[in-house]
Amino acid sequence: MTIDERELAELTQRSRDVHADAMHEAREPLAEIVEVGREQRSRNELDPEVGRVFATKRNARLGKGLGLLGGVGIGAAILGLFERPAFASKASDIQMLQTAASIEVLAIAAYDAVLGLPFAGDLPAVVQTFVTTTKDQHAEHLQAFNAAATALGGAEQTMADPALAPVVEQAKPGLTGPGPVLDLAILLEDTAAQTYVANVGALEDENAKKVTASIMGVEAQHVSILLAVKALLDGGLVDQIALPPSDLGALPAAAGAVGFPNAFYPTELAAPADQGAVK
Amino acid sequence: MTQHDENQHEPIAISERQLTQMTAHLEEAHQATLPVMHQAVAEWDDRLRSENTPDELAEMRAKFGRPSRRGFLIGAGATLGGLVLAACSSDDDSTSSGSSSSDTKASANSALATDLKIAALAAALENTAVATYQAGIDAATAGKLGTVPPAIVTFATTAQQQHKDHAAAWNAIITGAGKPAVDGIDITVNDGLVQPEFAKVTDVAGLAKLALALEDAAAATYLSVIPVVSDPGGVKTVATIQPVEMQHSAILNFVLGQYPVPNAFAKTDGARTLSDKIG
Repeated sequence: MTIDERELAELTQRSRDVHADAMHEAREPLAEIVEVGREQRSRNELDPEVGRVFATKRNARLGKGLGLLGGVGIGAAILGLFERPAFASKASDIQMLQTAASIEVLAIAAYDAVLGLPFAGDLPAVVQTFVTTTKDQHAEHLQAFNAAATALGGAEQTMADPALAPVVEQAKPGLTGPGPVLDLAILLEDTAAQTYVANVGALEDENAKKVTASIMGVEAQHVSILLAVKALLDGGLVDQIALPPSDLGALPAAAGAVGFPNAFYPTELAAPADQGAVK
Repeated sequence: MTQHDENQHEPIAISERQLTQMTAHLEEAHQATLPVMHQAVAEWDDRLRSENTPDELAEMRAKFGRPSRRGFLIGAGATLGGLVLAACSSDDDSTSSGSSSSDTKASANSALATDLKIAALAAALENTAVATYQAGIDAATAGKLGTVPPAIVTFATTAQQQHKDHAAAWNAIITGAGKPAVDGIDITVNDGLVQPEFAKVTDVAGLAKLALALEDAAAATYLSVIPVVSDPGGVKTVATIQPVEMQHSAILNFVLGQYPVPNAFAKTDGARTLSDKIG
């Protein structure tokens, strides 16, 4: 096989840049999300028991940090402060399912908004199909999460995630071309995927866990395709955004891996369990 | 801009090994985003430390050591008997009274045995994927698949590396529990799918179809075991890997001209079971 070495290095670098940019772009709104979440929590009165359970699960993640800092026993001692009553586990599961539903509500609204953009009809046909199909898939996810929540005695969540919604609203004026649209979609899909990956490790109810597990990988697939499309768009290869790509040989080497940048799916963008819970 | 222009630069011959090295930058990028895996294994470590005396801990560390050359494995190796720990702690996070400790341990040992079997199956499936991608890369290098686009080479080498990482994660858990690492493949899958199908492969599309079948089987298997794995850290490990296999599937579908996210919910169809022969 022959490959232009300089081009390969350049494309590899570009792939790295795309990944780094994506992470950077994701982190800024994340900081905002975290801030909004903090403000909300400072205003609202969370059920202390439910909050404690969530803290337990979060601490399970944070506890390793304490442990790794050499505080043998300290992490465990802190975690020991958060014994978990059974009813609170159920409540925490409901919160996680409602938060998931709220993310789905927002995703549906966001894709709806994309379909209404003036340039939507000019997007590559496969992208238009993707937007429509993905919106429908999110609608199915919403139903599934709400069904799981109500099965546990919780209320349906029909409102958009209160922390993420302002981020979408803020992004809307800038949706003047496919690039910003893709960035926003990647952020929403990745936040959904990471939230569900984290929730699968925290949910107690078996059905809730199964439902969430069956959805997390689908959101990850949405991320993959969006990353690939964005890379092709950024590389000026719009013609390749087709099923199948018109000329696989014309794709840059780095395009082969741009859709799955991590061997293990991260959770750093995961929404807190109560973020989208019905109040 | 990214269009390949062979007239501008002198093409060079490049081996798959060299290509893998050059795309190691991507690997570095994903290494930087492994918090969930570190988290999951550290959780096991925390529990290990919280539920064993310093002497017991020292004995385990002396027995198993800290194996690895990769940062990730250093963390994973630190789990030592993570699953053994799970066996000792069972489902109940509260401190044991000791009155029914033998029953608890018997139940926990059973859960441990199942968890380890699942880990072994997962490692074998990952090894099967690694070997299949290697066979594909070897066939491509030998010119048996016709012209192989650079993006496909990058896909194969990156996906293969991620499967190696997954196998390493499972083997860290297995060896941490005092069992030998699983270096073999899933013979049932190899004999029933890989060998017969690979014999028919004559081009990139054929190889992509075989890879898709393996990725789908892996994703389905991980989804199917989530309700079965007893150790919370084990569930998290599965949850961080399953979406990545689904991402591989999405890109393969895209390359094959099939809709990349065909289902709103991941399926367990084709999931491998503990009856598979490993060797």
